[in-house]
Amino acid sequence: MQHSPTTALGQVIRRFTRMGKQYGVEWWILVAGAIVIVGVVSMAMFAPVIAPYNPYDQETGPQLAPPGSEHLMGTDNLQRDVLSRIIFGARTILGVAILAAILSSILGISMGLISGYAGGGFDKVFSLMMDSIYSFPGLILAIAFAAMLEPGVTNISIAVAVIYIPTYFRLVRGQTLTIKQELYVEAARAIGAPGSTIMSKYIFPNVIATTAVVFTMNVADAIMTEAALTFLGLGLPPSVVDWGMDLAMGKKFLPSGQWWLITFPGAMISLLAVGFTMLGEGLSEILNPRLLEK
Amino acid sequence: MKNLLRYIIGRTLLTVPMLFVLLSIVFVVVRVMPGDPVSAMLGGHAPEKVIEQKKQELGLNRPLIVQYGSYLLQICRLDLGDSMILKQTVMSTLRDKLPATVELTFFAMLICMLVGVPLGAYAADKRRSAQDYGIRLYGIVIYCIPVYWLGLMLQMILGVWLDIFPIAGRTSARIFSSTFDRTGLYVLDTILAGNVEALGDVLIHLVLPCVTLGLVLSGIFIRLTRANMLDVLKADYILAAEARGIHHRRLVYKHALLNAFVPILTMMGLQVAILMAGAVLTETTFSWPGMGRLLLERIYLRDYPTIQGVIVVFAIIVALISLVVDVIYAFIDPRLRY
Amino acid sequence: MKSLKLLFICLMAVGLAFCASSSFAKDTIVYGTTEKVTDMDPSNAYDFHTWEIFYNVYQGLYGYPAGKTNLVPNLAEKYEVVDGGKGYVFTLRSGVKFSDGSAFDANVVKWTIDRVTRLKGDPSWLDTDFVDSVEVVDKNKVKFILKNPVAYFPSLVATPPYYPVSPNVYPADKIIKDPTELTGGKLVGLGPYQVASFKRDQEVILEANPHFYGPKPKNDVVVIRYFADATTMRLALEKGEIDFAFKSFNPSDINDLQKSDKIQTIKGQGPYIRYICFQCKTAPFTNNIVRQGVAAAVNRPEIIKKVFLGQNAPLYSMVPAGMWTHEESFKKAFGDGNIQKSKELLAKAGYNANNKLKFDFWYTPSHYGDTEVDMAAVLKAQFEATGVMEVTVKSAEWATYKDNWRNQVMPVYLLGWYPDYLDPDNYTAAFAGTEGSKGNGIFFSDPKWDAMFVDEQKDPNEKNREAIFKKVQEMWTVEVPTVPVFQGSLYVFAQKNMKGIMISPTLQLNYGPISKGK
Repeated sequence: MQHSPTTALGQVIRRFTRMGKQYGVEWWILVAGAIVIVGVVSMAMFAPVIAPYNPYDQETGPQLAPPGSEHLMGTDNLQRDVLSRIIFGARTILGVAILAAILSSILGISMGLISGYAGGGFDKVFSLMMDSIYSFPGLILAIAFAAMLEPGVTNISIAVAVIYIPTYFRLVRGQTLTIKQELYVEAARAIGAPGSTIMSKYIFPNVIATTAVVFTMNVADAIMTEAALTFLGLGLPPSVVDWGMDLAMGKKFLPSGQWWLITFPGAMISLLAVGFTMLGEGLSEILNPRLLEK
Repeated sequence: MKNLLRYIIGRTLLTVPMLFVLLSIVFVVVRVMPGDPVSAMLGGHAPEKVIEQKKQELGLNRPLIVQYGSYLLQICRLDLGDSMILKQTVMSTLRDKLPATVELTFFAMLICMLVGVPLGAYAADKRRSAQDYGIRLYGIVIYCIPVYWLGLMLQMILGVWLDIFPIAGRTSARIFSSTFDRTGLYVLDTILAGNVEALGDVLIHLVLPCVTLGLVLSGIFIRLTRANMLDVLKADYILAAEARGIHHRRLVYKHALLNAFVPILTMMGLQVAILMAGAVLTETTFSWPGMGRLLLERIYLRDYPTIQGVIVVFAIIVALISLVVDVIYAFIDPRLRY
Repeated sequence: MKSLKLLFICLMAVGLAFCASSSFAKDTIVYGTTEKVTDMDPSNAYDFHTWEIFYNVYQGLYGYPAGKTNLVPNLAEKYEVVDGGKGYVFTLRSGVKFSDGSAFDANVVKWTIDRVTRLKGDPSWLDTDFVDSVEVVDKNKVKFILKNPVAYFPSLVATPPYYPVSPNVYPADKIIKDPTELTGGKLVGLGPYQVASFKRDQEVILEANPHFYGPKPKNDVVVIRYFADATTMRLALEKGEIDFAFKSFNPSDINDLQKSDKIQTIKGQGPYIRYICFQCKTAPFTNNIVRQGVAAAVNRPEIIKKVFLGQNAPLYSMVPAGMWTHEESFKKAFGDGNIQKSKELLAKAGYNANNKLKFDFWYTPSHYGDTEVDMAAVLKAQFEATGVMEVTVKSAEWATYKDNWRNQVMPVYLLGWYPDYLDPDNYTAAFAGTEGSKGNGIFFSDPKWDAMFVDEQKDPNEKNREAIFKKVQEMWTVEVPTVPVFQGSLYVFAQKNMKGIMISPTLQLNYGPISKGK
């Protein structure tokens, strides 16, 4: 059967509306978030194609030109095109935030599983460490780490990742403790299944749903943290194109009336963070529906 | 009661290892930082001999374990040492800067609650309506706006173009804080000194920074209040009250909110961490002479003792507040006093 | 909500019940800056802002009048050069008292210098490199015995480490940071002002010193307000929250403030220079041809336009414009952005499009202001425009930066210089003399150069010194231990009604003559 693009699109829309009817507004929140994310990700992926100029090019046009037909978002004081820097900047922030989230989740989930399953003194010690880090202001710890490491994409991701490990740890450990008591786990143990199998085959799949929600919220938070760190001048070298850094460099021109240097980076940071948050909110409502809601 | 006491003691004792963990992390992070503070301190013309001598003096040549041990001992004696860069005790620096941050975070929290709690309650009341989604959207968006960006915007719009509020510092240049400074909490100090003009000045300087920080954090509070209110509104006693004919608005805002308030209050304690993180960024934007700005400046200078001192103080504050929160929780909900 | 309102009203009532606030009938000037005070101790402070406070709170034996660059007697009335240039006998002004009433005499001078030597603070080399010992000849005569004749010794004496401090107040063996650490808790000095209140990073309040021997200041109180960043300070100035502001502004702020009708601009030629350093002991920068090649590619006007929006002046020699013996040697030798010449020179050293000269180019992000990032980016683009260089830009905070140059980690890096004393020697020997060069991480060493420096330091004859400095500047374009880039202009911005603000290349700002007009 021939599927033209329009029929395919029509089918997708129909599917979506059905889901929307089933889950309510939350579904549309999720979709909105997903659209934003997909948009920014595509922008990042196809950056070299869609960006009108090279983000490092210092001869793209007049200095500090306001947004216009030639430069949709204006130029900065080194005559670089702001739009191109925004497009390429998406790569940096997405790269760091997602890398950090992946690092935290891998470490946090595995530590949570092991600690929750193993129990005893080991668990107590780990929980204590994780609680200490969790209760401490994350940004401040990230600042200390970022200042300690040499500026670079991997290092800033590490600095950001460290502060979210406890979130995953606590969530997974809590669930592990509950699931550990379940009958089927006891049964598995009775037939001699090793701990690793139990953790990976029995516990982990039950945990994954909530972890997914936490992951999206994690990315949203990581975006904010990365932007804050680079705004403060920590974490990344200026050879990398980054929204937070452009914001920091641009703010001194604000009183002179050159608003475009900070408006666009700030708006993009907010937009991307909102996108992931909405995805997370929508996901959490759908995966854990409020059954008693009228 | 005996149970409660036991809980309090147990919980207090738990604070110690938590602090210990944090202090150790701080020590490791700070010591591992690249950059030699001694040569920075001594200036470009200092010969090698003098640098070595200074390092010896500061004990930087001892093995890391020994330094760690003496660091812990010093903390126990509440001696945070001397700043490496600027011959001043860390304690005196912290004592100067801490009140500024406390004042900022206190009023920011106030605004955060004044905005977040009513909106959250309203959203819970009108759940699944346009208002509910609107408020939730506002909550999400405002939290995702970088606090320094919002600060800049407010500075330009309210501070410069409309010229309503000052944009930096705790007092105007012509109000001399030395005339009333006693505790460092200027609102309190000006009231104690009876200096109305200064009080007005201090309050107006608090507006922009606290509104910036408070608004951004209200996003979380909206979510929290709404979630808690939804739980409370489902409760049987609410249904019963409604059946008895109590006016709806009174029901929601008096009975339900008051019942939800305690978990909200305790959750407020947990938000202190986020508040302090936000304060660091707010202080930079508004030239606020607090601990956040101090931390950043000293990181640039590699002033180990001050950096450690600042983080230690943050850690102690967090530990204390979470202790208080847990105790309040245990007081209210006996089930938690295991 | 109602209870909150009630509380607020109660607070207001309580406040009103007390007496009204104090008003300041005194003439108060408010001065904003983004600089920071370091140690309130002339034996250790080595930054221009703290020195500026010292100019107003202390006095030297000799000094510069406001806005001028010629030395005049201050605490000393005259001096005599003896022992073939190795001895200087200063006759001190009599009847001078500290602000606590104690007398000032030759013993105080000796005690001060001995203390500087003993404490070995940052700027102590200004004393220990030159002075062997200090002798008290009589109550009003003090003799400095130098290690070698130094032609510019009086300008050294005008620097803060030489400012006499009271032995009753300053600890003999400790460098102090805050005035509160002094005996009596107050800073006692010989200058036109005394420190009334000191709140680090917030404000320092100075008031007129009634015991000052010289002319009374035109204002009663000076409040120095510290700002975290230039933008906020600029806005505060425009809103009228401060009377004048000095150091540092963003280039965009300078442009806007210059155009503003409400603000007056006071511009001075700064002796502040910025330059590129080469690590002369690291290949390939051991080869002076390579250094020349890199120097030729620097395009100063472009940097000034892009990074500084037109402020600051291009600099073609390490000796700044406006200083005696200045020559535009680099302009004659290389011009600006001379891509052709750069390629030729680098080709001689074996570098071309297939074999590019690769190096790390370092800068420090906050010590010199946040224009550094842009300056590094523009220079990188300029170097790479030749097609034969590949540059990696790196940065390190000041603490690490100094460490790095000491450890010879940075092959090419940016540096800046505020002079300690106004003499071409301070701009040349400090970078190309063997000792100075090592101290700044350049490690350039040539006995011929060292001999020339020794000569000019000893020779009191101006014509001879001039000849030596001109030769040195010429040789600089051949050996190129550093590449001068630009010279900073000084800007003070003030409300239109302010009078008496004078800045000079000495970077000395006297608060005394400043007043608020009507």
